[in-house]
Amino acid sequence: MKSLDPRVNRLPEISNEVKPKAPLDQLGTFEVFVQAKENKPFQHEGIVHASDIELAFVLAKETFTRRFTCVALFVTDTRDVFVSPLTESNINAYDVLPDATENLKQNEESFLIFHLPKRGKQHVLVGNVMASSPLEAMHQAKNTLQDGKPVFNVWAIRENAIRMTSEEELILWQSLPNKKYRDAADYKAGDKLTRFLEKNKS
Amino acid sequence: MENIALKELLYKIADDQLILGHRNSEWTGMGPLLEEDIAFSSMAQDKVGQSYAIYQMLHQLGEQEPDTVAFMRNATQFHNCQLVELPNGEYDFSLIRHLLFDTAEYIRFDYLSTSSYQPLADLAGKIKGELQYHTLHANTLIKKLGTATEESINRLQHSLQVALPYALGIFEPSPYENILIEHKIFKGEVALQQAWQEKIEFIISKTQLTLTDWKVLQPVYGGRVGRHTEHLQPLLDEMSEVFKIDPTAEW
Repeated sequence: MKSLDPRVNRLPEISNEVKPKAPLDQLGTFEVFVQAKENKPFQHEGIVHASDIELAFVLAKETFTRRFTCVALFVTDTRDVFVSPLTESNINAYDVLPDATENLKQNEESFLIFHLPKRGKQHVLVGNVMASSPLEAMHQAKNTLQDGKPVFNVWAIRENAIRMTSEEELILWQSLPNKKYRDAADYKAGDKLTRFLEKNKS
Repeated sequence: MENIALKELLYKIADDQLILGHRNSEWTGMGPLLEEDIAFSSMAQDKVGQSYAIYQMLHQLGEQEPDTVAFMRNATQFHNCQLVELPNGEYDFSLIRHLLFDTAEYIRFDYLSTSSYQPLADLAGKIKGELQYHTLHANTLIKKLGTATEESINRLQHSLQVALPYALGIFEPSPYENILIEHKIFKGEVALQQAWQEKIEFIISKTQLTLTDWKVLQPVYGGRVGRHTEHLQPLLDEMSEVFKIDPTAEW
């Protein structure tokens, strides 16, 4: 099907034979999490395209933290984010988790757990748990990281799958507070217009 | 004499930043992918901001207002090295220039962080994070593309050959070198070039690119004394076009 519409172009080809899924014709995606202030939790901000996690970190820095305050960020491959069922109304995502197999305490590793506190908001880091699978991590979090309010989605990410800001890189955002000119609101167009009109009134 | 030496140093740093900032901003909207477009544009903006800070220092030392200095001079009055004024060409050239220039700039400001001229030392501390990001960005891209495909390696290699003689022009000898060193304002271009070569050798060794023997390279000098390529004046004309319509306008 020939079309300039990307929604049409990206449709899978209809074929009678079973064949492997075509590889991506673009760079993969990485999820970006930003910490706006010290002692504030990391929050999901969006995605970047990159060839690997190191480049994703570099590109995420300017894509998501070139304005406003930021003290650190981390990135992870989208394929390393494990997602619970999405719920709505007052249904807690933890209550609709599939059953986990018995925890054998084998090959446990640290998982970061994120909650979606409101539909339409961003996922927020709430803590970490030790588990041997993402589903088991969510079950662990159900017992230890809930504050009573329903959450509408849970993400679990292996801690060793993230590229975190290093100690030496904390300086990267040092001059950000001085770059208010990057925020459109810093350009006081209304004030300038008022001054101009008053000046030309007489 | 110390003041003249300091001004010469400040002018070449600021002019380098302004001209390369403008050149790099020409990629805005045309970068190879959206995220890279944003990153390269942000770094270009950083460079213009850094040049502004130094033009302010020059103003404190008796030179004209930053806008006047930036927009009203002709090419022969600029002290930037010729490397920064060369046209962008393809992205491979811009990336190689980014690596070569920003590596030098990082070391230069590292030296300046202990300068006896306190405003310069303060600025070096303030923008350290920006410079660290610029080198992180350059090193990451060059390491990736310098080991990726035959095409990316060949293209970077070609650009490296073209850019290296111009990059040596960053360190064009200054008539005030000894004064700057004596007064502990700056460690000097010779020391800077030595440290830069070692760093560049290290980064390139992580790729499949090769460096020409430093001894056979012929540095392209002249920029620091106002001798420029035919590319600078058109850049200045375009950069100052709006300002010159009404130099007194408040934006």
